[in-house]
Amino acid sequence: MNKLLRTLIPFDIAKGLSITGKHFCKVFFTANRRKVPFHIVSEYPEVVAKIQPRFRGRLTLLKDEQGEIKCVCCLACEKICPTQVITIEKGKKEGRKMPFPVRYDFEMERCIFCEFCVESCGFDSIILNHQFELAAYNREDFSLGMEGAMQNMYDPSPVGKFSVADD
Amino acid sequence: MFKNEEMEINLGPQHPSTHGVLRVKLRLDGETITHCRPMIGYLHRGVEKICENQTFFQGQVWTDRMDYCSAVANNLGWAEANEKLFGITVPRRAQYIRTMLNEFNRLASHLIWLATHALDIGAMTVFLYAFREREDILDMNEAFCGSRLTTTAFRIGGLREDLPPGFEKLVTKFLAKFPSCLEEYENLLSENRIWKKRTVGVAKLSAEDAIALGVTGPVLRAAGVPYDIRKAFPYAAYAEMDFEVPTKTEADTYARYLVRMEEMRQSARIIQQCMDGMPEGPVMAKLPKILRAEVNEVYHATEAPKGEIGYYLVGEKGSGNPYRFHVRAPGFINLQALPKMAEGGLIADIVAAIGTLDIVLGEIDR
Repeated sequence: MNKLLRTLIPFDIAKGLSITGKHFCKVFFTANRRKVPFHIVSEYPEVVAKIQPRFRGRLTLLKDEQGEIKCVCCLACEKICPTQVITIEKGKKEGRKMPFPVRYDFEMERCIFCEFCVESCGFDSIILNHQFELAAYNREDFSLGMEGAMQNMYDPSPVGKFSVADD
Repeated sequence: MFKNEEMEINLGPQHPSTHGVLRVKLRLDGETITHCRPMIGYLHRGVEKICENQTFFQGQVWTDRMDYCSAVANNLGWAEANEKLFGITVPRRAQYIRTMLNEFNRLASHLIWLATHALDIGAMTVFLYAFREREDILDMNEAFCGSRLTTTAFRIGGLREDLPPGFEKLVTKFLAKFPSCLEEYENLLSENRIWKKRTVGVAKLSAEDAIALGVTGPVLRAAGVPYDIRKAFPYAAYAEMDFEVPTKTEADTYARYLVRMEEMRQSARIIQQCMDGMPEGPVMAKLPKILRAEVNEVYHATEAPKGEIGYYLVGEKGSGNPYRFHVRAPGFINLQALPKMAEGGLIADIVAAIGTLDIVLGEIDR
C-alpha cells in the first residue's frame, strides 16, 4: 500500500522541485536589488570580476624610479621558461654599468602563465600583471617586444585593447 | 563478422557526453551493445616525452595539463615523486597546506563529475548548483597560487609561498556552507526516481573484474574493495588525519554516486582537521644548489580524485632532466573497464557508464 502511494504521488520529485522553487523565489524576489549576496554571476563587461592579488596575467617589464629598465639580462627567465617564449638579447647602454636588454621578446601566444620567470628573477624586474583580457585580432599582436607602438612590454595593456568593456 | 542485423556506430569524438574527445566504437544489436571499444589519442600531446626534455623544476607545468579538473592532485604527485628521488624532507606546514589544497581539489573534481554526470543523464539543476560551489574552490586556488585551473601549486621541496592573508576566512566560509549544499544535491538526486532508474544496476563492474583490470579510485571502492592510497600508503599529512574510506558493495552507477558523495563529506572533514591543526613554520625545505638523485628510479603513487595516479621517474647521473618519465594515469586505466561495463547493456546506458568512470581525456591521451 505504502509503495503504491509512493508510486502514485511523486514525493521524490516534489522534494527536488521544492529546492529549485526555493532558489527560484530567492532570486525572483531579490532580482534587481542592490544587495544580493548569493548572486555569483556578475554582468561581466560592465562589472569586472574581482581579481586576487596573486593572479597571473601578462608578463610586464618593470622600470625603476629613474625610468630605467630593471632587467640586467641574467637570462634566468629565458632558461627556466617551460615553453621558451622569452628571448633576450644582451647589449650595452652608455652610462649604465649593468647589461641592458636590447631586445626582450615575449611571445604571448605560447605563454602558459606559470610565473616561473618571475620566480626565477633575482632582480624583481618582471611581474605578471592582472590583465586577463588578452585577445587580439592579429597574430603579430601577440609578439610583444620593447619597440614599436603595438609592441610594448611596459604598458599594462597593449594586447587586450579589443576588450568588450571599451566598445 | 557481422551477424544479421548488427550495426556499427561511433559515439564521439565530438559528442557532449564523452567528456572530451573520446570516440567509442559500438556494435549494436537493436539497442543492445554487443561490442564496445574506446578509441583514444585525439588529445595526445606527448607530455611524458616533453618532460624528459625539460628540467625537473619545469616538468610540473605539464602535470597541470594532464587532468585539468584536478591539477593540484597531479602537482602533488609530481612534487612528491621528485622529493622521493632527491631525498628531500618537506616542512610540516607545507605538508598540511598541500593536504588541504589536495582535498579542495578532490571536492572540485567530484563536483564537476557530479555536475556533468547528472547533466548527461538528464538532471540539469545539479549542474548549476555544483558549479556554484566549485567556483568558490577555484577562487581559493586563485587566491593561493594565482591561477584557477592550471595551478602549478607546489614546488619541489615545499611551496612557493605561504597561504595568503584571509585564506582561513575563505575556508571557514566554504566549510560552513558546504554540508548544506551536499544535502541539496542529495535531495535532488538520491531518491529521484528518474535518477534511480538510470543508475541502479547500470554499468556493473564486480570487484574481481575491477582488480583484474587495475581499476582504482571510487569505481573500485564502490565494488567493495576498501583500497585508498591515502590510508594504505599515507603521503603528505594523511597519516595524521582521521577519515573513513567509504565503500559500497553494489558496484553499480548508483553505488559509485553514493561513494563519491560520502568521499566529499570526508574531504570536508580532512580540510577542517588541516585548518585546526595547521602547524607554524617554514613552507620550503632548504634545497641544495644542484639536485642530485639519491636513488636511480622512483615510483610514487598518490590518490587523485579519479584513482591512483603514479609517477615513475628515472634520474640520470649528471643530468637535470628525467631520463624516463611515465605516468600511470587513473583515467587511462579506468577507461579499460568500459567494454566490461557497457557490453550487454543498452546504448542509452553507455552515457552513464562513461560518466561514472569520471574520465578526463587530457589525462588519458596525455
